[in-house]
Amino acid sequence: MEITVRRDIASLGEIFDFIDSYASRQGLDSGVQFSIRLAVEELFTNMVKYNRSRTESGIEISLEQSASSLILRLTDFNVDAFDIRTAKEPDTAKPLGERKVGGLGIHLLKRMVDTIDYEYADGKSTVILTKNLEQT
Amino acid sequence: MFDARILETGEVVLSGRLDASQTERANEVFSRISTSARVNFKDLEYISSAGLGILLMNQQRLKNAGFALKLTNLNKHIQDIFLYTGFDKIFEIEK
Repeated sequence: MEITVRRDIASLGEIFDFIDSYASRQGLDSGVQFSIRLAVEELFTNMVKYNRSRTESGIEISLEQSASSLILRLTDFNVDAFDIRTAKEPDTAKPLGERKVGGLGIHLLKRMVDTIDYEYADGKSTVILTKNLEQT
Repeated sequence: MFDARILETGEVVLSGRLDASQTERANEVFSRISTSARVNFKDLEYISSAGLGILLMNQQRLKNAGFALKLTNLNKHIQDIFLYTGFDKIFEIEK
């Protein structure tokens, strides 16, 4: 299943509707549903904030299921390469006064899925997230 | 849908999904809190890092004035998020 949405935080409602309808059709449990919502939101908002698209092209999101895993693909067009796997990890043990929000989204995304792959060619940036289903 | 309300008792009640498109609405309510308050997550289904940012910012603001937010009724998935981010150490969470 696939959807292309506008590069705008306001597209999140449409993205959640897409995920929820996929989850209910596939009978995914609430834990998996929560994980994929969070993974997609964090990645999508990261793309909207930091990828500077040179065109008005939207961001493509696809969900696909194999026997034992769920594969999520987010593709951004006409952008520079950015591999989120290289993003700096936040220090989650710092006291309140020193805590910052930056970096938490990608940190959470990494906890929500089992593998993160990245492909980049000709301005097309694709992040592939795999969530193993038997672990949940 | 996301909603945040402050009850007459001072308790803050959250419901729905606190995602990156709802931070303005959430912050509008949280910025009205000027003393220690309990935040009830009973009807909150979902929170992302954007929502955590609002909580963090307001906890820092209140702590500087000698107050704190205390959280209650977090669902299991949200409890996990607090654990993964170390937010369980910067908020008192009532069981």
